[in-house]
Amino acid sequence: MTVIELDSVHVLYGSSLALDIEHLEIGAGERVFVLGHSGSGKTTLARLIKGRLRPSSGTVRVLGRDPASARDRRRRQRRVAMIDQEYFLVPRLTAVENVLQGALGRVPPWMSFFGIYPRTEWIEAESVLAEVELDGLGHRRVETLSGGQKQRTAIARALMQQADIILADEPVSALDPELAEDALELLVACVARREVTLLVDLHQPELARRYATRFLGLAQGRLVYDGSPEGFTDEIAELVYRGRPSDEATGSDLASPRPPLDVQETSHVDVETGLATANPRSDIRLVGD
Amino acid sequence: MAISSFVLWALRWSEFDLAVLLGSGDRFVEFFSRLVPPDWSVSKLVFRSTIETLMIAIAGTAVAVVFSLPLGFLAASNVSPPWISHPVKWLLGFIRSIPLIVVAMLFVAAVGLGPFPGMLAIAFHSVGMLGKFYAEEFETAEKGILDAVSGTGATWSQTLRYGLWPQSIPQVVAFTVYRLEMNFRDAAVLGLVGAGGVGYYILLYVRGFQYEKVAVLLAVIIGVVLMLDNLTFWVRRWVR
Repeated sequence: MTVIELDSVHVLYGSSLALDIEHLEIGAGERVFVLGHSGSGKTTLARLIKGRLRPSSGTVRVLGRDPASARDRRRRQRRVAMIDQEYFLVPRLTAVENVLQGALGRVPPWMSFFGIYPRTEWIEAESVLAEVELDGLGHRRVETLSGGQKQRTAIARALMQQADIILADEPVSALDPELAEDALELLVACVARREVTLLVDLHQPELARRYATRFLGLAQGRLVYDGSPEGFTDEIAELVYRGRPSDEATGSDLASPRPPLDVQETSHVDVETGLATANPRSDIRLVGD
Repeated sequence: MAISSFVLWALRWSEFDLAVLLGSGDRFVEFFSRLVPPDWSVSKLVFRSTIETLMIAIAGTAVAVVFSLPLGFLAASNVSPPWISHPVKWLLGFIRSIPLIVVAMLFVAAVGLGPFPGMLAIAFHSVGMLGKFYAEEFETAEKGILDAVSGTGATWSQTLRYGLWPQSIPQVVAFTVYRLEMNFRDAAVLGLVGAGGVGYYILLYVRGFQYEKVAVLLAVIIGVVLMLDNLTFWVRRWVR
C-alpha cells in the first residue's frame, strides 16, 4: 500500500528550485534513506511530507491526503512524526514531559492545558523511554542531558506519537560516529517493532546501507537515484554528492562540460556523462527501468 | 558624532546648567539636614499607607497579568496572524502612551477617591507594558520547537501551552516581578491625585515642610523597595 505519493512536485524558494520530483511512491513499512549533500532538497522533501511546506506546483499525498491541508489537521499531523536535526525538545522540561508531548494529538486539549495526561499515557511514556534506554532519566531536564540522550528523547517523542510514518531529518548529524550508529540502530529497531514507514535523511551512505530497504539520491533538488542500497554504487554516490560521476568511472576530464546524464536503477552510469550545472533544472534526470 | 550632537541638543532643551547644579549644594545640605531627626510618631500611619500602596501594586500587577498574557499571545507575530497581532500591538502602544498620572485622575473621576482607582490605574498602565514585553518574549521562542509540538497533532492552544510557554516562562516571570517593583514606586505617587496609598502623605508632609515625617516615609518606602528587590531576585532564581 502506498503511503507517500508525490507527482510533478516543484518547490521554489524565491526563484531557485529546491525540489523537482516527477513521481515518487513510498509503500507502507519501507525504510527509505534519502541521501544527498546539504542543500540537495532532503529536508525540503521531509517538510513536504510532514505538511510544513506546500509545493509550488504538483501534488503530495500522505496516507491518501494532502498533508498541508488545514482540514482534519490534528489527526493528519499525529499520523506522521518527525525527528528534526536539532531535536527541538523543550530544554526546561523533563525528558518524560517532552516524550508526553507525543500524546498531545490524542489527549483532550482542556486536560493537557492543566498539565494532566491520562495514566495510560504516563505508562506509555515510561515504557517508550525504557525502549530507547533512558529509563531512570525521565525526571531529568532535557537541558541537563547529553547529546545522545537528547537524541533518544526525540526518538521517544516520535514513537509516543504512535504515527504511521516517521520522518527523521539528519537525526544523527550532531553525534560522533559511534553514537550515531547506536542511535540509528535503535531508531530502526523501534520502527521495525511497530512496522511503520521510515524515511531518514542522511549524509552517510555506508551507515544507511545497514538499515535501509531503499535509497533515494537527491542532487540539486532532483531525484537522481531511486533503488536498492546495493545498487547505490560509488559512481552514483559521486553523482549524488558532487553532482557528477567519479573520475574513475568516467575516465574523463571533469573540468570540461559534458552532455546530460542518465542514471538507471541498477546504478549503471553512462560514461558519457556531464557536469551538473548550477541550474537545477538542467542535466540530471532519473530514468526508469 | 550625530548621537553626541543630539544628546547635547537634548541637554540644552532641558535647560541643563552645570553652574546652577554646583551652586545648589547648600540647599541639598539644608534639605537633608531637615530630615533628621525623623519623627517616628507617624511611623504607624506611614507603615499602614505604605502597605496599602504595596497592595495596590500587587493587585494591579495581578490584574494586569491576567489581561496581558492573552494580549501578549495575540500581539506575538509568530503565533497570531498579522491582522490580529498588528492591531493588538497598536492597542498596547496606545495604552502605554497615556501617562499613569492621567490614567489615575480618570479613574478617580470615574470611581471616586481611594485605593481602588489607584489599583485600576496601575493595572491599566501595566497591561500596556507587560503585554508588549510578553509579546516580544513570545516572539523569541524557538520556531522549531513550536513546529515540533504542533507536529505531534497538538492544537494551537496545546502548542502555546507546551511549546511556547515553557520557553518563555523565566522571562515572563522576570518581567512581571520587575513590573511589580516599578508598580510599587508608581503607586507611591498615585496618592497625589487621591488614588490611595502613601502618596497622599508625601504631598501632605512635603507641602507642610514636615521633613522629619518625610524622612520616615522615605525610610519605609526604601525598605519595601529593597525587600521587593530581594524577593524578585529569589523568584527569578527559582523560575529558571
